[in-house]
Formats: sequence, C-alpha cells, structure tokens
Amino acid sequence: MDLYSYGKGIPFVFQGAYYPKKYSKLKATNLAQLADGITKADKYSIFYHMFHPIFTSHLVAEDLPNDFAVWIDQALGLRELAEKVADLSGAEPKTAEDVRKDLFNTINSYKSVREGLREFVFVSCYPIVYDTGKRASTLAEFLDTLATVDSRSVVWHFVSKRILGMSSKNDFSMWLEENFGLKDISYKLSSIDPQTYTNEEKLREDLIKNLEEELL
Amino acid sequence: MIEKYASIVGEQEIDGIVKIAEKLKGISILNVNSTKAGGGVAEILNRMVPLMKDLGINVDWKVIRGDSEFFNVTKAFHNSLQNGAGNLTDEHFKIYDKWQEINSTEVPLDYDVMFIHDPQPAGLVKYRKNNTWIWRCHIDISNPYPPTWKFLSQYVSQYKSMIISVPSFGRDDLEIPQFIIPPSIDPLSVKNSQIHDVTVRRVLKKYDIKEDKPIITQVSRFDRAKDPIGVIKAFKLTRNHVDSQLVYVGSPASDDPEGEIVYNEVVKEVDGEKDIHLLMLPPGSDLEINAFQRASSLVMQKSIKEGFGLTVSEALWKERPVIGGNTGGIPLQVIHGVTGYLVDSIEGASHYMTFLLKNKDYGSLLGSRGKEHVRQNFLITRELRDYLLTVLYSMGKSL
Repeated sequence: MDLYSYGKGIPFVFQGAYYPKKYSKLKATNLAQLADGITKADKYSIFYHMFHPIFTSHLVAEDLPNDFAVWIDQALGLRELAEKVADLSGAEPKTAEDVRKDLFNTINSYKSVREGLREFVFVSCYPIVYDTGKRASTLAEFLDTLATVDSRSVVWHFVSKRILGMSSKNDFSMWLEENFGLKDISYKLSSIDPQTYTNEEKLREDLIKNLEEELL
Repeated sequence: MIEKYASIVGEQEIDGIVKIAEKLKGISILNVNSTKAGGGVAEILNRMVPLMKDLGINVDWKVIRGDSEFFNVTKAFHNSLQNGAGNLTDEHFKIYDKWQEINSTEVPLDYDVMFIHDPQPAGLVKYRKNNTWIWRCHIDISNPYPPTWKFLSQYVSQYKSMIISVPSFGRDDLEIPQFIIPPSIDPLSVKNSQIHDVTVRRVLKKYDIKEDKPIITQVSRFDRAKDPIGVIKAFKLTRNHVDSQLVYVGSPASDDPEGEIVYNEVVKEVDGEKDIHLLMLPPGSDLEINAFQRASSLVMQKSIKEGFGLTVSEALWKERPVIGGNTGGIPLQVIHGVTGYLVDSIEGASHYMTFLLKNKDYGSLLGSRGKEHVRQNFLITRELRDYLLTVLYSMGKSL
C-alpha cells in the first residue's frame, strides 16, 4: 500500500461540530408516552439521545449506551427492555429514521403501564459545523490527522452526518473508496456500529486499529 | 486570561472558543441583570464578562435600577415562578412596568445583542430596537404561579430566543427557541481553586471543627427548599453508625425574613448536639467554603426544590462525592451511583451518608468521576462556548 500517494487528488477536509441543545416540548412518564414521543421527536432528538452519548461528556451508565435505555432501566425499572434498547443497531446504512423505527417497534412491543420515577424530557440539538483547518491528501496524512484531530471531528464524519441523513455512509469510508479505491478498508470501517460507544476516544482508537491492520 | 484554562480543559477546547469568538468580532453584546454582587448570576457575570472581553468581544454589563418597592415585587415574582403560588396583583405588575420604563431610558438598548438575565429586567424587551434579544432564565419556571407567568410571558415571547438551565424547566406555551445551557463554576476562582492543606486546617481550627473526625458538609441558605432540618435528622441517624460531624454553612439573608425563622427551627432541631456546627458566614466567604468542601468526606445538597444547585459541582470539582436531592439541576450533576447518590428521603440520605463514611475508597472513586464530569460539563469555559454559539445562532451566523 502506497501511503504517500495522492490517489485521485481529492483532499479530506476535517470538519467538526458542536451540538447545542434545545427544549423539544416532548416529555414522557411511561412507556406509551415514550413510544409516542419517539414517533414525534425530530431526527436531531433521536440522534441526541442515541448517539450523542458517544461523547464522554454525555454521561450514561457504562452498560447502557443511550439515554432511552438508561431511563427505561432507572426510571421504569424495566431492565430487560433497557438491555434490548441498549443493543439496538446504529450501524450503516441506518439513519435516525431507521433507528426511530427500531426504537418504536422495540418499545411498543413491550407492555407496561408502570409510571416512571422521573420524567423523560426529549432534548433536541442543532449541529453547528466548523472547519478544523486540518487536511489530508495521502493515507499517511490521513492516519496522522485522524489520530490527533479534535474528537468532535471524528464523530461528525463517522457518525453524525450519516445518522442525520447527510450522507449514505461515513465520510472516511467514502473518501478511502473514492480517492483510493480501497473498498475492503472502506467496508471494514463501515461495519463498526457507533451506537454502543460511550467514549469518543475508544471509537477513534478502533478506527485507527482497523486502518492500521489494513494499511501498515 | 482564557489561556489559563487550557491546562484544565485542553487546548482544543480553548482553540474552539477562540474561533467562535472571532466570528463575533464587531458585534456588541450587553448583559443586563439586577445586581452587581451577590447571587449566582452576578458571580458568573463577574467572571464571564472579562473572559468575553479578553476574547476581543465588545461586551458590557449593566445593572437595572429600582427602589425597594420594585425589588419586593421582583422577589415575589421570583418566588411565585419557582413555587407555583403567590398573590400578585395588577398593582404589582404596574410597579414592575413602571421600573421597566424608567430603566429603558437609562440602560442603552441599542447593542447588537441584548442578553437579559432573569425576570427582573425581562420587560425591557418592550422597548427593543431592531436588534437581537436573548432571555437567560436562571430559575425553574416549569410550574409557575399562572398569573405571574401570564404577565411575564407576554414579554418573554417577544425575545428572539431564551435559555434555560435544565431540560425539565422548558415551557410548552412558548414559540421561541429554548436553548438548554446549564450554569457553571469557575475552577480558577477563590471558591474552587486548589488550596493548601494548611489553609484547610486553619479554617477548621478557626471554627472549632475537629480534623480527626469525618466531616459532612452542606453549603446552603437557611431555606426550607434546602431541607436543613432533613439534613440534621439524616445526620443524627448516621451518627448511630459512624462517629462523624456535620457542618452546615449558611449566610445571613437580610432580605429573606423567612431565613431567620428557618434558622431558629434548625437551632431547635440541633438541640445542642456538639458535633453539629451551624455556621453563619458573611457573603464572600469563598475561601472558607472551599476549605470546608475540601475537608469533607462527603457533601450534601439535600434540596427538595432547587434551581440548579451549583454547590454540587463545587464539591464534585474537589473530588468529593455528593448526596443530592432528586430535584432541579441536581440529577444532571449527581449521576446516581456514578458521581454520588440521589435521595428522596431522610432515610435515603442517612443510608448513603453511612455507606460513604464506611467506604471511603468508593467515595473517592465517585469523587474522581465527579471531577471529570464537572470538567467536561460544568466549567465556565463550556458555558462561555454555549453562550457564544447561542449568539451566533440567534444572529443567523455560522462558524
């Protein structure tokens, strides 16, 4: 593998994103209301509760990697359902709309009239995208930059854009395939499911590990 | 100035803030509130405004004027918005409006962005020019006294956007965007910066508190919402299991007639118990509060009604586990079993007090997780970044 080739000459532009939070006016105190809220929430809200916990700053229980699972477990005491929701797939090519359907079907198939110890408040967000100023033209530069760029950039390109319906697969796979024709590596990265991560650095580590196995 | 925070939150975080601030150069921002000193809003503005200036932003801060009649009305506003009860009349609303009009002639209202804090100056929006107005609400308005909210919301709805501290404080009857921005602590302030052990020991000695007996601390006003009686009762239960001492640090509240009544009730509940120290410290006793929090094995914030409860973040920042009431912003800071424990009863509080006093290593683990949680979420740099992003968004600008 030539790590220093420019491929087709398309540079990878590393962007990042902040996700300021907004009140969505949706709340739930039981499972039926949660399911109803999931059907009404905007895609940013689904993203926020299912995928934003990838950031360590968004604290969830270590074994329950999204807000819905945590609430079902801690407020409703429905451990079995919480585990199912915790393990829902967020892998490619799923978008927030696909995840919404999976969430609704999983929750709606479970019958419980239990009232929560506290309410679930749906939070939405709006991504504000910025340019990190980092560029990669070769695979060597890509590896080096991926290892050090702001973790917000890793999550934006690998998770957020695809989940929010802005691209069909993660940007890294797309670039590797389009610029270098690296279909196998592209596929390997695409198979990583970000939904179960609760640490952005662990996600970065796994991406680098996969790239290293193929490129070095 | 901003670079001093790099060693705490990382250079990338600071670089990000600098980049956002660059987009706001040339824009003027005016913060308006009702007091220059005392209370959390003034405390954070005293730190935030210089930081914004340091970033090259044209920012100022003005305080509205009012007489005792006006501030009695706004205090009644505050209580009725937070407690859901009150007896405000049209006469009170007229006094409020009169002072909004007076202040509209004294406060410059032509800044590009008007950042209005809390209900006291909210009515100034009536005199807005063609500029961007943002309302920063620091209190819980989720269950207000309806007449007060009906009156206030006619003003709030004229803002471009508003900011609440906790998702559950959001209002369903407003059409404007409601951003969620929790408040923050400043890790470089006297109250939160690292201090030497000798200073901690000096402060303990000054107040006749033993060094060699575990200390439980609650820093709060003598206010029923903070449940001081519940704290004392929980401590008495814990004392049956672990020899320890309780330090309840409050400050005199000359503007709160109920404070003295509650204080007297607390003194009665203490009933001369020598290991319960009720301390009345003057406002600004930041070094002493820092020392008490650091000297503690665990910190309580057993509120039954709370706005955000930043004393929780203050304690977590010092790696102390916190037992907090399950209300307001406390559950955002105390993640049950991760950074401390949430409780809904005196017995629950006592249970976790005893557990943490008997399991100090586990308490240390919760404390160290708590510090990281605060570092990531409740430091002034994060609040500064969120404010700048809100201004950017409200003005229709992008990064």
